[in-house]
Amino acid sequence: MLSVKGVSKRFGTASDGVTAVDDVSFDIRPGEFVSVIGPSGCGKSTLFNIIAGLQAATSGQVIVEGTAVRGPHAAVGTVFQEESCFPWRTVVDNVAFPLELSGMGKAERHERARHFIDLVGLRGFERRMPSELSGGMRQRVCIARTLAGQPRLLLMDEPFAALDEQTRLLLGDKVLQIQQQLRQTTLLITHSITEAVQLSDRVLVMTYRPGRFKRLVPIELPRPRTADAVTSPEFGAAVASLWADLREEASRGMQDAGG
Amino acid sequence: MAAATGIGRSTWGLASGPGTAGPRLAAALLLGGGWQALAMSGLLFQDVMPPLQVLAGGLGAVVLDGGFWANAAVTGAELFLALLIGGVAGAAVGLLLGVSAFMSAAFERWITWLGPTPKIILFPVLILLCGVGPGSKVAMGAVSCFFPMVLSTAAAVRGVDPVLLRVARSFRCGPWQTVLKIYLPSTVAPLLNGVRLGFGLALIGVLLAETKLSNQGIGFAVMQAYARFDMPRMYGLLILVVGFAAAVNIALGHGTRLAAGVAAGRDR
Amino acid sequence: MRAGAALFGLVVVAGLVGLVQVAIGAGFIDEYTVPRPMEIAAALPRLVREEHVASRFLVSAAETFAAGALATVVGTALGAALFRWPLLRRSFEPWAAVLAAAPLVLAYPLFLVLFGRSSVTVVVIAFVSALPPVVLQTVSGFSSVRPVLLAVGRSFGLGRRSEFRHVLLPAALPSVFTGLRLALMFGLINVIGVEFLINLGGLGALINDLSERYDLPGTWAAIGFVVLVSVTFFVLLDGGERWLRQRG
Repeated sequence: MLSVKGVSKRFGTASDGVTAVDDVSFDIRPGEFVSVIGPSGCGKSTLFNIIAGLQAATSGQVIVEGTAVRGPHAAVGTVFQEESCFPWRTVVDNVAFPLELSGMGKAERHERARHFIDLVGLRGFERRMPSELSGGMRQRVCIARTLAGQPRLLLMDEPFAALDEQTRLLLGDKVLQIQQQLRQTTLLITHSITEAVQLSDRVLVMTYRPGRFKRLVPIELPRPRTADAVTSPEFGAAVASLWADLREEASRGMQDAGG
Repeated sequence: MAAATGIGRSTWGLASGPGTAGPRLAAALLLGGGWQALAMSGLLFQDVMPPLQVLAGGLGAVVLDGGFWANAAVTGAELFLALLIGGVAGAAVGLLLGVSAFMSAAFERWITWLGPTPKIILFPVLILLCGVGPGSKVAMGAVSCFFPMVLSTAAAVRGVDPVLLRVARSFRCGPWQTVLKIYLPSTVAPLLNGVRLGFGLALIGVLLAETKLSNQGIGFAVMQAYARFDMPRMYGLLILVVGFAAAVNIALGHGTRLAAGVAAGRDR
Repeated sequence: MRAGAALFGLVVVAGLVGLVQVAIGAGFIDEYTVPRPMEIAAALPRLVREEHVASRFLVSAAETFAAGALATVVGTALGAALFRWPLLRRSFEPWAAVLAAAPLVLAYPLFLVLFGRSSVTVVVIAFVSALPPVVLQTVSGFSSVRPVLLAVGRSFGLGRRSEFRHVLLPAALPSVFTGLRLALMFGLINVIGVEFLINLGGLGALINDLSERYDLPGTWAAIGFVVLVSVTFFVLLDGGERWLRQRG
């Protein structure tokens, strides 16, 4: 349902610029969970912005459900890396935001919002303000808000990057549950290999700048996956294989930075 | 009195750099054109809102008049002394409040509360204390710039990164060395900003005092022009004063940004 | 410690006042320059009785609120316009900065000529002085809305108007309240100052009056009273802004 065809993004002039993304192509089938991993600075966020319709590609096309992406696509929902709750709205008003935009009445949209608030495990916090919540909880509100819009494709750009390890693991579990329950087609940008293996059906490895598509790795681990899956030998093998790919790119990145 | 609140220009991220000179000029031309149209339309008395050429004439007359420069010198001297006295006193008190949390808790709130009050109302008292001559004008200016100087200095001293102070201690720096090598470079930017604020307020204080009771100075010259209903001259004086204030403000603003840039480790 | 320090400060100030009282009594300070603090305190009730302090206070307050409200409304609108059209912003924001730093109040004789000797002049001067800071504050407020919030808006397909209504305005509202506080602050300072300078109207004129009558204790008392009013006003404004910010 998502088709990325030869997308490239170049910043600056032809002679003296930077190619962030170089001729990336891949497809995502409905219900699939795909992760994109790569070293820091490899252009994953640029790719994310292009698919989300927030930036234009220099060349190539992104097609969602048959229509080309020319701006934020109605079928695409985005969760950003930075925490982005509207600080002046309560939790329920934040989550109900897409419903409010579509003209739904207050009682109905609050009802619907409560369903998604439950889904992310924040039942009871509906009337709270974001300033009263922790970083992890606020990010959950953002996820619930995006899900409330019932996007056919969910895009997430390192949504757990700003959180501590323990919160990350717990939220990862939550996302897994949600994805399994909703059969939500998802594209996740991440730099955490364990996260990618834990959550995905397939993992796309990107090279260091210019970001090219290096390998597409299917994750054969059985679903439903639980937290215990992390300890299985198959999991370890998948992680090791991805790390072998990634290490090469990551050390090129470090060399470039003078490290 | 527009700068009385302690809000530095650097906190209003002004659009600047290449590409703004043209629009700024265009805006100036637009405003000038608007003025001219209004002046020529006869909606207001020609005397009160003179056309641009009359204004230019007035400006020229002022600049070419020897008396103006004498007045400017008087005001300039008063301003300089006011800044010196108020600035040094303010910095000293601010330093004390900055290094001592106790003193700050005891006295800083008095300064903060008294800061925004209109200082011109103290003028009658200052006349009694310092006479009707330049002394009371200097006092007016000094009192005006004392308060923002205290608050800026205190904030600047408190804002020195404690990590840097620990580094100084680890290198066994003496108190004087710490002041010179750590405090001074760290506080130059906010201090300059405080001086910028203080300058504006001191200028207003001195000028208003001169309009109230004086026989020399730019403020006095403005009142003279008013008494004679010499509008072009009054406008000329006002334009010069605003221009002077703007120029100093811009210069100090650049200085503040430079100092802040160096302090933040960017090479300039 | 803080309470102790605050008390210490109060004691020191009171002590200084007491010192002055003693010094005047002993002849170290000329009592025709600095009246005894007790006399000044005694002058206050006399002022209230004889000088219509209450009605003067209302005049100054009315002028302040008029100038402040006008500056807020016009300033916020202009600031929003400058933010909306970047070309306008690049053209006019620097001029607003020049005006904000300029001693505009010095032009009060000009305004006297334009508007005559009336409350209108006082309000106009205060309005003109308060306007540039409000404009700058509004522009700054809109510009500092976190970009990720705008990205969220765009990701939900919001157009310009919806983006303004749903994201920009609520996010920038605290800055708008700051603008209101600035307008009232500059308003009060300029109203009192101009009243004093042209001897017209409310509390500022009261001080002028008394000083011209050589009523020394009265002058000092009036100054003290105006300072008290000013301090109370600003403390209330500060507290009000903080309360509003906490409510989100």
